[in-house]
Amino acid sequence: MSGTAEFPPAPDVAGTSLDGTRVFTVSVEENERLCRSVGVLPAADGTAHPIWYYVATQVAMGKTVAGVCETCEFDVEDGPMMGSSGVRFAAPIKLGEPYRVSGEILSLERKKSRKLGIMDVLTYRLRLHPASGGEAILETDNVWVLPRKELA
Amino acid sequence: MSYAAGDLIAPFIVESVSADAMKDWAVFLADPNPIHLDVAVVKAKGLGDRVINQGPVNVAYMMNMLLAAFPGATIEAMDSRFLDNVYGGEKAVASGRITAVDGDQLTCEFSLDIEGRGTVNSGTATIRLNLQQETR
Repeated sequence: MSGTAEFPPAPDVAGTSLDGTRVFTVSVEENERLCRSVGVLPAADGTAHPIWYYVATQVAMGKTVAGVCETCEFDVEDGPMMGSSGVRFAAPIKLGEPYRVSGEILSLERKKSRKLGIMDVLTYRLRLHPASGGEAILETDNVWVLPRKELA
Repeated sequence: MSYAAGDLIAPFIVESVSADAMKDWAVFLADPNPIHLDVAVVKAKGLGDRVINQGPVNVAYMMNMLLAAFPGATIEAMDSRFLDNVYGGEKAVASGRITAVDGDQLTCEFSLDIEGRGTVNSGTATIRLNLQQETR
């Protein structure tokens, strides 16, 4: 990485709300299908596979991936890449339980890398709450790399 | 069962990453990105000659390793870095080791490796053991 003086700054999108408006529920059948797709049996205790953290928050956040990219003035057709994903669970995701998502964009930083050239690094945070209200059962931070071919 | 820093975690092996599973995940994620579904698109974009696994599927493989190694345990925190793509038909191996033990809490580091290509994901996790289930 190098300094940022040689190219224009990234759009100022930090703080953009990603609060969802829909309720997300993992059904027994969907969980069985997901578990089968990754080579395991479902848990017997009524909890969903923990990878639903990613699916639930991504699907029920307030913007689509394309919409998030658009907010960042990036065309999703240019190929956003996942950089990292972190999650902190306060409780497991339960089958049949309705959840809603809150969240926001934390930062969009323009950088230059030897491998990708100029790119924007997008970090956003999402939380999964019981739809009935209360504290989040999990919080996830995702980092996406948005290659800025037009600035290369 | 007792654990110590440095203990290796039994690997979780995917003999052949499934292109059919990618179709399921396109539905789960409500994301019909053709690089996961159509080899012709992958080729046209210069990304290879096989469909590309969705990133969270690779995270799920690493979660499977952790949950199989510690029966009844819960993952309290997990961070994963995406280093390279995983392609349909590849053999993927999730493996790791314990880095610290504090009562019923373990910290681990892990990776997902592709036969012949090396590490494509890496990360760390904090696990809360279920000691009742561990002693059965």
